[in-house]
Amino acid sequence: MKKDTYDVVVIGGGPAGMAAACKAAEWTQRVLIIERSSLLGGVLNQCIHTGFGLHYFGKNLTGPEFADLQREKVKKREIDVWTDTFVIRILPNRTIVAVNENGMLQISAKAIVLAMGCRERTRESIVVPGARVAGVYTAGTAQRYMNLENFVPGRQFVILGSGDIGLIMARRLTLEGLEVKGVFEIMPEPNGLRRNIKNCLEDYGIPLHLSTTITKIIGKNRVEAAEVSRVDENGKPIPGTERIIECDTVLMAIGLIPENELTSGAGARLNPVTNGPLVDESCQTTVPGIFACGNVLQVHDLVDNVVAEAEKAGKEAAEYALGEAAAHLQWSGGITVESQGIVRYTVPNAIRSSERPVSLSFRVRKGISGARAVIRSGERILWQGRPRGYKPSVMEQLNMPASVLKQAEGTITLSVEQEDAE
Amino acid sequence: MKEFEIGIIGGGIIGCAIARELSRYSEKTAIFEKFADVGAGTTKGNGGFIHAGYDPLPGTLKAKLNARGCLMYPELARQLSFPYKKTGCMVVGFDDNDLAHIRQLYERGRENGVPDLEIISGDRIFELEPEANREIKYALYSPNSAVTDPYKTAIAFAENAVDNGVELFRNCEITDIQRDGSGFLLQTPEDSYKVQYVINAAGIYADDVSRMAGSEDFHIICKHGDLIIFDKNSEVKMSMSLFPTPTSTTKGIALGTKIAGNPSLGSTSVIREKGDLDTYKEGVEQLLAGAVRLVPNIKKCKIIRAFAGERAVVENNNNDFYIRPSEKVPGIFHVAGIQSPGVASAPSIAEYVVEMLKKSGVHLTKKDQFLAVRRERKLFAEMTDEERERAIAENPAYGRIVCRCEMVTEGDIVDAIHSVVGATTVGGVKRRTRAGMGRCQSGFCQHRVIEILARELGIDPCQVCYENEGSNLLIRKLKGEGIS
Repeated sequence: MKKDTYDVVVIGGGPAGMAAACKAAEWTQRVLIIERSSLLGGVLNQCIHTGFGLHYFGKNLTGPEFADLQREKVKKREIDVWTDTFVIRILPNRTIVAVNENGMLQISAKAIVLAMGCRERTRESIVVPGARVAGVYTAGTAQRYMNLENFVPGRQFVILGSGDIGLIMARRLTLEGLEVKGVFEIMPEPNGLRRNIKNCLEDYGIPLHLSTTITKIIGKNRVEAAEVSRVDENGKPIPGTERIIECDTVLMAIGLIPENELTSGAGARLNPVTNGPLVDESCQTTVPGIFACGNVLQVHDLVDNVVAEAEKAGKEAAEYALGEAAAHLQWSGGITVESQGIVRYTVPNAIRSSERPVSLSFRVRKGISGARAVIRSGERILWQGRPRGYKPSVMEQLNMPASVLKQAEGTITLSVEQEDAE
Repeated sequence: MKEFEIGIIGGGIIGCAIARELSRYSEKTAIFEKFADVGAGTTKGNGGFIHAGYDPLPGTLKAKLNARGCLMYPELARQLSFPYKKTGCMVVGFDDNDLAHIRQLYERGRENGVPDLEIISGDRIFELEPEANREIKYALYSPNSAVTDPYKTAIAFAENAVDNGVELFRNCEITDIQRDGSGFLLQTPEDSYKVQYVINAAGIYADDVSRMAGSEDFHIICKHGDLIIFDKNSEVKMSMSLFPTPTSTTKGIALGTKIAGNPSLGSTSVIREKGDLDTYKEGVEQLLAGAVRLVPNIKKCKIIRAFAGERAVVENNNNDFYIRPSEKVPGIFHVAGIQSPGVASAPSIAEYVVEMLKKSGVHLTKKDQFLAVRRERKLFAEMTDEERERAIAENPAYGRIVCRCEMVTEGDIVDAIHSVVGATTVGGVKRRTRAGMGRCQSGFCQHRVIEILARELGIDPCQVCYENEGSNLLIRKLKGEGIS
């Protein structure tokens, strides 16, 4: 087995991995990116629509353009890149076993940044009953067929779920002259970004059916139709509301799951709500020297936010590799962050140092208006935001000044509460 | 016109096992399979349990064949290198009523010649299966019960049969059977084949085949079952299979483990239309309710696949296998109604059928040279790091990972396509290599599998099917159609 050592090894060469590597390379010499596919860029390579980079580059870019700018940076920083290389396992001592055409590889890293991204939820994860036939794809798979493989995966589409990839695909298919029969969303509100609802559905007259889901897939060898039903407030299909919609393809745009099989293999603990690792404010997992960022940590809405988070992880990983780990307290120390009520999760889950401000990301479980984000330590309110609306489709970020953190004792809780609840 | 001594209609696990047994003899044998792959019908929708033989009523054909079949598996798995794991199983009871059932099964097992059965209680149960519900009081412990991947077993039988001279025709549906002198003419939409004897192993379609030949007018009822596979990384790790005490119609909803380590759950039992392989919401709910009784920690969110299978039950046949020479049309042999425990019984059914042929006057001449062993290259995921290193040095395609969830390489897939009974479809590749069987359910690798199939088979990617004809995955090129 070929052996090698690096200061920082980044696993995954998508937007998070590239950003983390570039930042790490500002501080330390030996940085490596390991990427499974043959090209850096991850899912950006198939996202040929615009809307990327407005915050980070100050420009409205396509996915491939955004990735290209990042690839240039990687090149300039003289970061080692191993493409077509697959990580088989990570050991808690930060040894990585990988494989490529040249054989098995073993890399010792002083610090590791996990940036493997996420996968799409499938038909199976929500158990859509009916025929087990060709023509059921995740929206991202269909996007890959269209934008990278140059194939049309169907003629008449029904899209389940109003996640952004589904919305983008509804427009993309329509622009190619294919028929999108409608987008069906089980929740009473759309899941994707507001701008995508307008730009991808409304502008093209594609119907969006809320509180509706697919209750059966019909077909012999290939999808022939989908049965859709209205659902009640608990998401249960209402008998008698079934409709049959003829189509040859069903796309699933029902959400993303962080890919953390390597992470748990390395011994890091996961948050069962997000399937991402538990991290502290430096993006460090429960295994010292292993950091995580981007969609492997939490599913983001915007690549710009991914890059910001990844740069933080890259810098912290470099510091760790340089032996400045003394600043990284043990996981048991510091403040524990807990989510309460309609707050589904927070990142980070622990805060080591109350000497510096911390950015706290979270999502709510359901939509709410006129509500405040409240941070408590025990019964004491340490901080509260101005009343406003919160939606599950938006990843929120709060910047906690050090002065707030200094007042915390042991555990802080984050909740989002309506005014009248007080 | 091609001529054979024996024509087997149906390339499921039963047809393939019979073909392998017949390939010990010099008489020319052929398998006619209507689907694109062997083991792609009822065999594919099976839960994979190799039952020990304590369920069938003593005196039935099932009782006789199940116990023997189960004990034949370990040696066969070694010879034919198909997946087999002797996990053992427990039929569990919560109260004295269940205990009475368990005692009954124990007695049945003894009568049927099932070795090593034990009735156990208390902590022993949880030592054997730490995941088991702590409210379980009694269990029938059967250490010889096992699991396999039935489609792989069918492929192994078929490949070994072909190695020994059997001809396999896939995508070859028999649409008519005519008497022709001393034998039969088997008609397909394109061809006809002459055979002296017909073995009807057509699974749920065996009654149609019988009628086609003017033979017995038996009727097959399909008992549909939903099944579920969980993620390998589920918190629940099953070391064996757990069954509730059975009802009159089914062994009940069992929670076990697949060869690859995924917890698996199956199956329901509802009479449905022939060929209905849909999954049903109420079925899945029933499965989960059943599972929670056995293992309270099992989580719905870890489901990665639901599918369905069918049990072919011959009506008015005492719920038994229907294996007999046709009385109406001599020369036809029915191997029908192979419901559970069909997988466990497959090897012994094959032996039994060969004996039945001999008794019926079919002349069979033992070959001098029979290849009992089938060698299969280990999958990359199953290799040690040293074996991987050697495999990649020999062929870099083993260093190219295609399916990330199951760690399947391009080398594995190319092997599967070019093996003796090679994969021709995405489903065929999946069953042989596990590509697409993991938690992403082929979202990340399907395009690569299609590309490799098209390249290796010399066809257009748009011709690549998921399973049978008409299940094409891609419609056309997006741009530049017609431009080469």
